[in-house]
Amino acid sequence: MSILQKIKNTVRSRSIHVSYVDVGSCNGCDIEVLACLAPRYDIEQYGIYVHNNPREADVLLVIGSVTPQWVDKLRDIWEKIPEPKVAVAIGNCPISGCVYARKGTLTSPPVEKYIPIAAQVPGCPPRPTEILSAILSVAPLIFKDYEEKQP
Amino acid sequence: MKKTVDVSIPLGPMHPCWKEPVRIKCETAGERVLRAEVELGYMKKGIERIMRGRPWQEVMFLAERVCGICSVVHNMVFIEAMEKISDIAVPPRAAYLRVVANELDRVASHILANFSYCYTIEHETLAMYLLNTRETVLDNLERLTGSRINTAYMIPGGVRFDLLPGDAAAMLADLAKVEEEMKRHVRIFETGPLIALRSKGIGYMSREDAIRAHTVGPTARASGVEDCDLRLRHPTYRALGFTQITRTEGDNFARVMVRFQEVFQSIDLIRKCIETLPDGPIRGGGFCKAGETSYAGEAPRGELTYAIKTDDYGRVIDIAIRTPSVMNIEACAHEMIKDAASIADVTSTFISSDPCIACNER
Amino acid sequence: MRSIVYYLREFLRPEWIRKFFFAKTAPLETPSYFKDYPSLTGNECVACLSCMMICPAPDAIAVLRTRDGWEPEIYPGHCVRCGLCVEACPEAVLASGRILDVTSRDGTALWSWYRLEVDDTLCMRCGNCCVSCPVNRKIDQQLAGSGTSSSDEVIMRVEGGRVRVIHEEKCTGCKTCELNCPNGAIRVARMVEGVQIAEAEA
Repeated sequence: MSILQKIKNTVRSRSIHVSYVDVGSCNGCDIEVLACLAPRYDIEQYGIYVHNNPREADVLLVIGSVTPQWVDKLRDIWEKIPEPKVAVAIGNCPISGCVYARKGTLTSPPVEKYIPIAAQVPGCPPRPTEILSAILSVAPLIFKDYEEKQP
Repeated sequence: MKKTVDVSIPLGPMHPCWKEPVRIKCETAGERVLRAEVELGYMKKGIERIMRGRPWQEVMFLAERVCGICSVVHNMVFIEAMEKISDIAVPPRAAYLRVVANELDRVASHILANFSYCYTIEHETLAMYLLNTRETVLDNLERLTGSRINTAYMIPGGVRFDLLPGDAAAMLADLAKVEEEMKRHVRIFETGPLIALRSKGIGYMSREDAIRAHTVGPTARASGVEDCDLRLRHPTYRALGFTQITRTEGDNFARVMVRFQEVFQSIDLIRKCIETLPDGPIRGGGFCKAGETSYAGEAPRGELTYAIKTDDYGRVIDIAIRTPSVMNIEACAHEMIKDAASIADVTSTFISSDPCIACNER
Repeated sequence: MRSIVYYLREFLRPEWIRKFFFAKTAPLETPSYFKDYPSLTGNECVACLSCMMICPAPDAIAVLRTRDGWEPEIYPGHCVRCGLCVEACPEAVLASGRILDVTSRDGTALWSWYRLEVDDTLCMRCGNCCVSCPVNRKIDQQLAGSGTSSSDEVIMRVEGGRVRVIHEEKCTGCKTCELNCPNGAIRVARMVEGVQIAEAEA
């Protein structure tokens, strides 16, 4: 392993930029992601910075079952994120559609149909600690030795 | 001089200030915003269509998931509408516990709205203080109901869990802490010179405009509209001696301050509830009958109406929901943002009206 | 100048540097009263399916056959952690948070019964519902193919060219009649009522 790679690993492990996109949920999961910012959970002590700009994000938190408006836009957002990138599904909605997966719904879950999902955090909504540990456990798996893993 | 539009700037649907996707199209001349138009439709899930033909115990959860921030009040208004149809009487203890859960949710929602405002005007210190205080409130909601958000606390004829005596004491102690912290935050907000620069006199909406645009909730109360709080007509709140808070400035500062003052009022209400909590059962029983009604309650953002038609088998045949954000967002686009001095004020003005897109589109 | 020295001294303390690079808040505990995913208590499941019928989320819980008996299984991607299944279970098979303690302390329960709804405009009096109903078969073995019966104890029977529901309270909610109705004319509605049994009665 080259020294450059080692430096990259160290830097990446403490600088994870997170962007979240709500593609049609009850916004309970949105505010639980926001609650991760609170000093009690303090997501920034792990080097995770939450903001809403996909162009500088590493991790995309997808919230919500996909509404018709987002079917094409979600893929656009995913393509705008620079490599290496990873998408995490937060809550039941992107996994199964939660209570919206019934007759008459306008949503079309799961979100895996549109973009690749690396990790899922079930719960309606999940606790901030669960979101935090999911991001922390999935990020190193993707970002460590990213260049060497490329074919 | 004729105003000419230079460029139309879209804000959103992905924007660092919005918690949920919405697009605002601003027609600008230089830095000045002439007109703004809100474009919705990113969150339409069709909840009302899913609700039709389902029994109450499923519709209750769907109603709760109309909006995650004010989930308790959606649950409460739906259940009280069902009770109105079926003539179910609620035991006094359950009615008081409902008020406790509802007010805890209102405190959390108002603090979150003010957090978003402080975050939008980039006062991150106060924003983080507020968010930390909100955690204490959510802890108490969890102690009462068992979960932080989407609590599923009320059922027709009562509530699901009782308030244990040990929890009541812990809740009162926590509320005293929250009140003390909030007093400090309000002092920071009221006396901060930079906050005043970004808030006072910005996004002004007069009382006449507020009435004409049918605004509800704290947005209307900040513009000096009297008698627009439906808690004044709720029997339990009336027994607790609820009075409405009104401010007359009508700008961003007033809207945020109304929410701060309502937090203290809600804490007082909870305290009064816990101290005068009557003994007795928490569930009265009773099943749902056929009927049709329209029932309104006061959500943290304003008036929330459920129009429900049920059949003899406890199922909801037809339902229509009107959420407060519908009026507030339109009023915000057409009255407050109109002639804003800069594009930076558009975001803070929009957030100050506490928009909830998930509520709005269902 | 003095302030620069002060800050240098402040920030070069090994303790501060260690805290800056490796600071972690104490592991946050989930409070005991949180309604987590229901877990099994070890009581024997009688497969009454109350939990599946009260569940508001689609596909969140299923009662599965194991080697020794029945066992409810929760699917985390679907479960909304409402705790209704814990409250509805008559045998206390599931536990979540302190719901079991609180419900047993207050004597709260969810009662349910079934109501049969026959749409006369859709019903074509074939009698399939009366014949297929397992409770009907048990009560009256001589139940005719057209759904007529001489017994007054059956849930429903065809009388004078229309289906008449006699004993609604005997319905177990199996929905066999709904499945066998060619027109979708009969529907089983589950009525749920939240009750509190007073201590004197309990």
